[in-house]
Amino acid sequence: MNAALAGFWKFLFPRDSGRWVELLRIGLGLQLIIYTWSLRRDWRELFGTSGPLLVNRALAEAVLGGASFFTPRIGWLVSLGKSFGISEGATLLLLWLSLFSLGVLFLIGWSKRLTAIAAWFLYVCTAKSGTLFSYGIDNFTIIGLFYVMIAPFPGPRTSPERLGFHRRVLQLHLCIIYFFGGLSKCLGAEWWNGTSIWRALTRPPFDLIPPDLLIRFEFLFPFLGIAVCLLETSYPIFIWLGKTRAIWLSGILLIHLSIGLTMGLHLFALIMIVLNLAAFGPEFFPDRLVVSGRRWLARRHSISRQETR
Amino acid sequence: MSFRQKRIWTAGLALHFFLVLSFSLQDFAATVSSAATPSTTKVEIFLERLESIASTGLGQHLSVDNPFRQFITAYGDCTGIEAGYSYFAPAVPGNSKLGFELHYPDGRVDYDIPVVAGAAAGYRLATLLDHLRTVHYVRLREALLQTLVKSIHREHPDAVLIRAVFGVAELTTPAEYDAGKRTSYRALYVYDFRFRPATRSHTPGPKE
Repeated sequence: MNAALAGFWKFLFPRDSGRWVELLRIGLGLQLIIYTWSLRRDWRELFGTSGPLLVNRALAEAVLGGASFFTPRIGWLVSLGKSFGISEGATLLLLWLSLFSLGVLFLIGWSKRLTAIAAWFLYVCTAKSGTLFSYGIDNFTIIGLFYVMIAPFPGPRTSPERLGFHRRVLQLHLCIIYFFGGLSKCLGAEWWNGTSIWRALTRPPFDLIPPDLLIRFEFLFPFLGIAVCLLETSYPIFIWLGKTRAIWLSGILLIHLSIGLTMGLHLFALIMIVLNLAAFGPEFFPDRLVVSGRRWLARRHSISRQETR
Repeated sequence: MSFRQKRIWTAGLALHFFLVLSFSLQDFAATVSSAATPSTTKVEIFLERLESIASTGLGQHLSVDNPFRQFITAYGDCTGIEAGYSYFAPAVPGNSKLGFELHYPDGRVDYDIPVVAGAAAGYRLATLLDHLRTVHYVRLREALLQTLVKSIHREHPDAVLIRAVFGVAELTTPAEYDAGKRTSYRALYVYDFRFRPATRSHTPGPKE
């Protein structure tokens, strides 16, 4: 009994270098930059309440308000801005600039804790105020931002066990995500005969590949459908085994890479790759690469400091 | 890290994963039971019970303004766990489409669709249309369509009637595509929005 309990604590609080947090931070920085940049031309149309709009943000926030008064939303920021005499348009522009800048700060690792909290809060505001336009990418980005916000960043005074614990949380969460995603696909006959692969690739707006070209690879669809079902459902088992971890991680990364390339869901692919690499990938990055990366950054830093002097 | 700290973090983890699992189970049960999969009555009962248990755990049987329910909902929103993970499952649904028929005073008829500037926003627009299909509260669906119609009316201020036709795609299978069948759209809702050029007011009249 004691041995089992000791094993439980050891599993939950393994010692970790914290490289995973840095990977997650850099990945989320990239994600925020690409997210804001890709929506730059439609920002006001998506989140405004006046002028040229697609859907009035007030309507989305009314839906949100009915569910919970405590969920952060852009309306709070707009009200705050108005109390300082800032118009809604200016607040929205500031929000866009803040999210973009926070992405850059995340990437360079400046004031990590503050950046993580601000990025999480502002992203939740935009995702929830745009809840009618929101899809998987927003939930996964919030998951990543939430974990990076509560996790400690590696440092001389950081407990390696706490770093390991937070990584375990992310790892276990990914297992739940893939298990339920895979199981619900397994219950549909169309994933086993490959029809779902065909439909996913020909369904607008994901139909980047012409169907006439796609149909030539019809023989591959059942194999791909079964592979997706099996990889996802068995992820919570095989990702933990040393011998199969590399295979399962590569398989899942390949699925997300393919989704990004063939369906145009680049941001969705990026966030899933980032979460997987942070959770189960750090060991696959050779130490030499990380050390040389750090040296390169340190050298750049010293050069820029010399230049400013 | 002290043992006390470990226990506190573990308690937090247990609560967090209780919610993650509850949201996931609720979504799983709802997705599977709503899909047209051959299911026996026993399976249906099991799924209903599963969804009910998960909903109870999430406080969704309480009144909407109950602070516990409000807190759980906000926690789910803030941690990104409220959605579940059954994307494209158990089958890939057909996409939704919204088209507008613009009628002018001189009898001219024009056609338009909602557009956005960037591809990233295009994916979000597609999501909005998919959400529209699942909105069963008629007033909300009308309000959403109304704002979309308004954006079209801004570009075509002379139109006196805008007919919004909302449809869903019937995707083909590879075999059907081979046989020459192509994706077709089935209209689900038709709404007429009338505008008076002088006052810009409108009167929605649903035709389902």
